[in-house]
Amino acid sequence: MKPATFEYRKATTVADVVQWLKDAPDGKVIAGGQSLVPLMNFRLARPSVLIDINGIRALHHVEYDGSTLDLGALIHHQEIADHPEIQKKFPVLTVAARHIGHWAIRNRGTLGGSLAHADPASEWPAAMVALQAEIDVQGSPGVHRVPASEFFLGYYTTVLEPDEMIVGARVPATGASRIGFAEVARRTGDFALAGAFVEDCLDGTGFVTWFGVSDKPQRIAVALPPARETSWREALEQLTLNDVAEDKIALAIEIAERALKHSALVGAAYFGAHAIRGRD
Amino acid sequence: MTEQAMRPQFMGARVKRVEDPRLLTGQARFLDDIDVPGMLEVAFVRSPYPAARIMGIDTKAAKAAPGVRAVIAFEDCPVVLWQKDAYEVGQPVLAHGEVRYVGEPVVAIVAENRYVAEDAAELVTVHYEPLEPVLDMYRSIAENPRRVHENASNVFFYKKYTTKGFDEAFPAAAHHLQETFRTTRQTAVTLEPRGTAAMPDPASGRMTVYASTQSPHRIRGDLAELLGWPENQIRVIVPEVGGGFGMKANTYPEDVVVVWAAHQLRKPVKWVSDRTESLLTDVHARDDIHEVEVAFEDDGRIIAIKDHLMADGGAYPAYPFSGAVGETSLASRVLPGPYQIPYIETEIHCTYSNKTPLGAYRGVWGPIASFVQEGIVDRVARAVGRDPAEVRRINMIRPDQFPFRNAAGMVYDPGSYGESMEEALGLIGYDTFRTRQTELRKEGIYRGIGISVFVEPTAMASSEAGSVGYESVFIRVEPTGKVTAAFGLGPTGQGHETTMAQLIADQVGVNVEDVVILHGDTDSAPFGGGTGGSRSGPIGGGAALVAGREMRQRLVKLAAHLLEAAEEDIELGNGQAWVAGVPDRAMTIQQLAEIAYTHVKRIPAGMPIGLELVARYQPERSVSFSNGTHVAEVDVDIRTGMVQVLNYVVVNDCGRLINPLIVEGQIYGGVAQGIGSAFLESLRYDEDGQLTTTSLMDYLLPEATDVPRMMTKHLVTPSAGEGGIKGMGEGSLIGAPAALVNAVSDALEPFGVMVNRLPVTAEDIRQWILA
Repeated sequence: MKPATFEYRKATTVADVVQWLKDAPDGKVIAGGQSLVPLMNFRLARPSVLIDINGIRALHHVEYDGSTLDLGALIHHQEIADHPEIQKKFPVLTVAARHIGHWAIRNRGTLGGSLAHADPASEWPAAMVALQAEIDVQGSPGVHRVPASEFFLGYYTTVLEPDEMIVGARVPATGASRIGFAEVARRTGDFALAGAFVEDCLDGTGFVTWFGVSDKPQRIAVALPPARETSWREALEQLTLNDVAEDKIALAIEIAERALKHSALVGAAYFGAHAIRGRD
Repeated sequence: MTEQAMRPQFMGARVKRVEDPRLLTGQARFLDDIDVPGMLEVAFVRSPYPAARIMGIDTKAAKAAPGVRAVIAFEDCPVVLWQKDAYEVGQPVLAHGEVRYVGEPVVAIVAENRYVAEDAAELVTVHYEPLEPVLDMYRSIAENPRRVHENASNVFFYKKYTTKGFDEAFPAAAHHLQETFRTTRQTAVTLEPRGTAAMPDPASGRMTVYASTQSPHRIRGDLAELLGWPENQIRVIVPEVGGGFGMKANTYPEDVVVVWAAHQLRKPVKWVSDRTESLLTDVHARDDIHEVEVAFEDDGRIIAIKDHLMADGGAYPAYPFSGAVGETSLASRVLPGPYQIPYIETEIHCTYSNKTPLGAYRGVWGPIASFVQEGIVDRVARAVGRDPAEVRRINMIRPDQFPFRNAAGMVYDPGSYGESMEEALGLIGYDTFRTRQTELRKEGIYRGIGISVFVEPTAMASSEAGSVGYESVFIRVEPTGKVTAAFGLGPTGQGHETTMAQLIADQVGVNVEDVVILHGDTDSAPFGGGTGGSRSGPIGGGAALVAGREMRQRLVKLAAHLLEAAEEDIELGNGQAWVAGVPDRAMTIQQLAEIAYTHVKRIPAGMPIGLELVARYQPERSVSFSNGTHVAEVDVDIRTGMVQVLNYVVVNDCGRLINPLIVEGQIYGGVAQGIGSAFLESLRYDEDGQLTTTSLMDYLLPEATDVPRMMTKHLVTPSAGEGGIKGMGEGSLIGAPAALVNAVSDALEPFGVMVNRLPVTAEDIRQWILA
């Protein structure tokens, strides 16, 4: 379980990274390495060049200007979980962050890495889609913004070109609607068997973004009447599901219901409800 | 003296483990820490097929790769792990003509380091002609789709046993039920993987082998026999071992190849398994089916059990202990557990398949037998509409029935079967539970309690750790009065340096800090069986007591002579010997030792010079049974299928305790592993024979957050052996899975669910609820 030979380069600017990726299209960017290093050790990934971006300080920031949360690609999951302003304005991100792996993983893994890896069972891609974020991508021509809804193409695939990298994400404030989160995993910190962000617009409608149930996260409009089973089923029909077995459908519906329930909680209850052994 | 021995100072005390400071500060030296200049490393080319003929092996490119020192195939190292007296086939250390499981070693690359070796392994081309794999036990029994070994039947072990009178009693009972219980392949997953390092000593010509093993002398004997060397030319040193759990009781193909390579190249050579290799090639366990029929009466009395036991032994009998045979043959003998079930009929089939060989994993037969036995009792309770605890009471062996011969002929020494259950039920609050359970169900909360009363055969004359029924201790009181003792045991984390020191300190009359315990070096340790089968406490500990006592007698004799008193008037303790009632007439053990080694003219006639001796201990009984009860309280989320363990109680009886702290550590770890067995761990082969769980992303182990706090209580029914000690290394994992899955069955009683498989997953539960 040793990686194949690779060249290691440490970047200090994004321009370096883009140039090096252009020179070596099979090169890979490494930040926290929480997904890439196992893949390399299994020799499932064999980049000729490994570009370490941890030295690019400009990518390590969190800023909120009252309307948009600007997250640098190098922000670690734990930093999002711990950030007081995020906890106040985007509590759903705090809760989602706590569900990622364990402390060691959250201290190393980064937002940009998770988005680029695009595991459909992970929290950040779904969070970005659910919150209608934009993802900042830098390539040779410069930075462009891709709506999260267009960024993810399917299992582990995104619109990123070989010579592009994620530099950050911009999350708009959520307005009057309430967003809840729920996830079930076999053990605390595991990838989701099913997870959901549910937005309640408080007018009998809302949106659901599942993860762990289909090839990529999609934000789907749903009616939210008191009896919602049909709404959820119709929403699930719009997805390319991993598994159409009835127990999986029922699980996805149950998780959406719990996310909706959590959306109505406030204060400590909002955080507490999700903290039940990572399974609720 | 007798009275004094009744008041041990250290045995039974919560002495902190002397091993812990080095382990907790990262100072311990494990196998991968063994490094010497010029050491080469090995990577193995392994079979990607469950079954295929080898049509050719091209190693040219690998041999030419820079940094590669040797490329080894079977033709170079033609050694077969073969117990000719027991089985018809043996495993070649490198595949010979045919591969029989995914992960089987085919070619070994020895290179400057592991990176280079793995690069070169990719350059080896093996031409395979795939064969249809044998994957299913039922089909394998019928030799379908083919034989795994052309010249040997797929059924490599068969046995049938019937209690006299079974044929009449079984049909005569009022009720009958049937169930098929299935356990799934697991493996030990030690924190430290397997590994071997070998270094020839050019000066002496001897070979030093560092091995991560449970049985230092056994592996030395195996290597000597397999390689045809005199055993005194091999020195085995076992460094710190990070867990064994039975899995490290075997001699593996890689061990032989590494030693052979070191010998051929005259260079130090090391191989350490990575996690994928571990999951592929460490012996697997628990691949068993029990087809059970039970005959019982209206009140829940169980009259007879009929069980067809099957185990998939994998491609070869693991050397020198086939887990399939161990799991089934002993399960068939302890199947009645703590219950007075008068009749049993068992039939056993162990089969070959194109899967990894089955070996030992903590508890071996126990967790399977307990799961079946406690599953039977709960089914009978549900069938007759009585409380599961009540049906257990009706069937339980009573204290006045010991020694009790069970329906399979196993003789149980005294235990606290019923008492342990009543204590455990009291601790969990069982008397009010059914009311709570009913109330909670009205709120949609499905809570259940599972009871598991277990028997644990320990201190066996033979086990996976070796066929010797005794243990040995070499003890020396040093010239300064400090004590050094060497054991043939192979601890893998059990804390023998602490427990054995406690036993010896009491006997010799010194402080526990003054005793140093050595183990794991065949050059200094006396011949011993090693650690496994819960034998180190009762047999190793027994040997420690015998050695300590013999040394004590020698010190007393010497002191009596020097103090001019009768031997029976000499007392020994706190590092001193004195004349009873005359504490002024005392000598320190240091003074005695100095005389024994230096001023030898003062030694009484007939007494040997020095204070050194070897003692051995073999219990009179071939097995001693520990026992206990586990009770688990769980919540089952019927919508997600997730199970949460809320409360957990263990009442354990392992005879006299050496160190409760260590006993409780064993219990906590076993329950954690039981949670893995019950809910998480599963080695899964797909329909093509590929193992799909080759990383810890797929093979799920319990994490700290999955393990509840537990309440433990000790009962003490001493064994007839030395010190009254019984073994207890496996009981916690024997009892736990049954308690946990029975709790799930109890919680889901309104849905008619009775768990019949290990592990039970969230998906299983969701599907049962929907059905």
